[in-house]
Amino acid sequence: MTAEQQAEKVSPLREIMETREVELNLGPQHPATHGVYRALVKLDGERVLGMESIIGYLHRGIEKWAEYRNWTQATPIFDRLDYVGAVLNCHGYVGAVEKLLGVEVPKKAQYIRVVLDELQRIASHLVWLGTHGLDIGAQSVLFYAIREREAIMDLFEAMLGQRLLPNAYPIGGVRFDFPKGWVEVCRRLLDVLPQRIDEYEGLLTGNRIWRQRTIGVGVISAKDAIALSLSGPTLRGSGVNFDVRKAIPYSSYEDFDFEIPLGQNGDVFDRYLCRVREMRQSLRIIRQALDGMPEGELRGKVSKIIRPPAGEAYFTIEAAKGQLGFYIVSDGGDKPYRVHVKSPSFVNLQGIETMCKGNLIADVVAVIGSLDIVLGEVDR
Amino acid sequence: MSDEKPPVETPAPPAAEAAAPEAQAKPAAPKPPAPKPAAPAGPKKWEPSGEIAENGAAAALKAKFGDVVTGVKSPCKEATVLVPKARLIEILAFLKEDAACAMDYLSDLTGAHYPNNDKKFEVAYHLYSLTRKESLRVKVQLDDGEPCPTATGVWPGADWMEREAHDLLGIVFEGHPNLKVILLPEDFDGHPLRKEFPLGGAQEEMIRSNKYGKPVYLPEEIEEARKIIEERRHDS
Repeated sequence: MTAEQQAEKVSPLREIMETREVELNLGPQHPATHGVYRALVKLDGERVLGMESIIGYLHRGIEKWAEYRNWTQATPIFDRLDYVGAVLNCHGYVGAVEKLLGVEVPKKAQYIRVVLDELQRIASHLVWLGTHGLDIGAQSVLFYAIREREAIMDLFEAMLGQRLLPNAYPIGGVRFDFPKGWVEVCRRLLDVLPQRIDEYEGLLTGNRIWRQRTIGVGVISAKDAIALSLSGPTLRGSGVNFDVRKAIPYSSYEDFDFEIPLGQNGDVFDRYLCRVREMRQSLRIIRQALDGMPEGELRGKVSKIIRPPAGEAYFTIEAAKGQLGFYIVSDGGDKPYRVHVKSPSFVNLQGIETMCKGNLIADVVAVIGSLDIVLGEVDR
Repeated sequence: MSDEKPPVETPAPPAAEAAAPEAQAKPAAPKPPAPKPAAPAGPKKWEPSGEIAENGAAAALKAKFGDVVTGVKSPCKEATVLVPKARLIEILAFLKEDAACAMDYLSDLTGAHYPNNDKKFEVAYHLYSLTRKESLRVKVQLDDGEPCPTATGVWPGADWMEREAHDLLGIVFEGHPNLKVILLPEDFDGHPLRKEFPLGGAQEEMIRSNKYGKPVYLPEEIEEARKIIEERRHDS
């Protein structure tokens, strides 16, 4: 038999055995994508060869909308960016306008903002923890995490009148002081939460299944993470010490003693640990802010009609997802000329391709969870 | 706003003075045409107020590229520089690599539309140095339709940010590896963050106003829809 004949003989088998790249659509309506996010995954068997993110299903034109309202009226729309961390978004926008106006926020208002921001950060991380666990198959964490988040939402309701999208801060300060009895309830929650976080860690950190699903999965090096402009726990999981609260302090964060938890390997597990440890640090900050609450005004001197000087300002805060930046441009009028939101979820999602390459298709779900994206903020 | 008007009108008086002696010297000559009234102020240009702020990175940049880099005023004292488009990438790479700047982190990249300015578009790069803990805003001005060189070669993270600016403002980033729509639908017409784009979107407003409740294609249908939109505006 000649070689040609031989080849002819095996060819039908080869055709059957031939390996091909498969393109798989993950989403847009998939419970593990945390919203309407579509990933076009290129697969070789179960291995991910490449990945393309398709976003924009939730684009609402928030930046355009803000240009048609005056500076004050534009505030509530930014709550709708990251709807599980609404207070932080509000702080970002309001802080940018204050920076452009040159308003000094009274110390007491700054401290109240710190308390609410950190409560919101914990609430956001709890939602992330529950859903991330759910994605990987650890269902029970969700019920516990939501229970504690509920307590925080009740605190928001008592103070701000709203649970999810409270439109927390006016430009120049805060609206109200803590209501009567609020601080006591808050302190009781602070006493309970460390044990509750221990419980979550008991369910996950030492859990063999959890460790197998997360350690060494979705790795991104510190160099890549910086080059891709990642921020927040997603960046710190790779060991880069960049937290806006320490690096570019705002709202009196320099007064508080807290640590920045860092990861080492930049995998899903390290990002998980960073966030869980961040919750503990947030508790520390809240306790210090409540203890050292200064007396004084609640709002700085801001005129009723706000007309910032012509020019631009870029103000960033450390939101639950990462560095949230507001680039605002004023033409001296009573409406924003341009508002641009640097949303951490949008930028962090860029890293998913690097993280997923070479991993299994099942790990894509773990990586999406570890990025902690909110599609309202990705698409704006 | 009122304090910005005088600079526009001031050119007029000197012109009148200059014309007066000339008229006296040659009385026979036909009277020169009356000096034109100052050109109509027109739409107001966008210009930042405040003063130029300095920091280490801006100073190092000016020392190296002194002739082309200019400081920009900022009301809240943020260091801002304006650089020419032709040398943008060279300057960004310098900012990233040079030890005195070390701007290794691209915090944000976006654009804005200034239809009344000479250069209609601006792209702003917000840089941050993780080691030196310092921020710098670099801006570049563009004409309508003028492409901007891509920064993806310097910071890969500029990828999606440039795609977004391309979507919403129509700025073309030359050399971008994958410059396609990211936030808008693929068949979307127009760039929503341009100032002339209506808030509701042209199509949506027409669909809403149309008595048939469907998109309009024929010119007369479009005309009819426009009329209804106008009427509603007057009513509200």
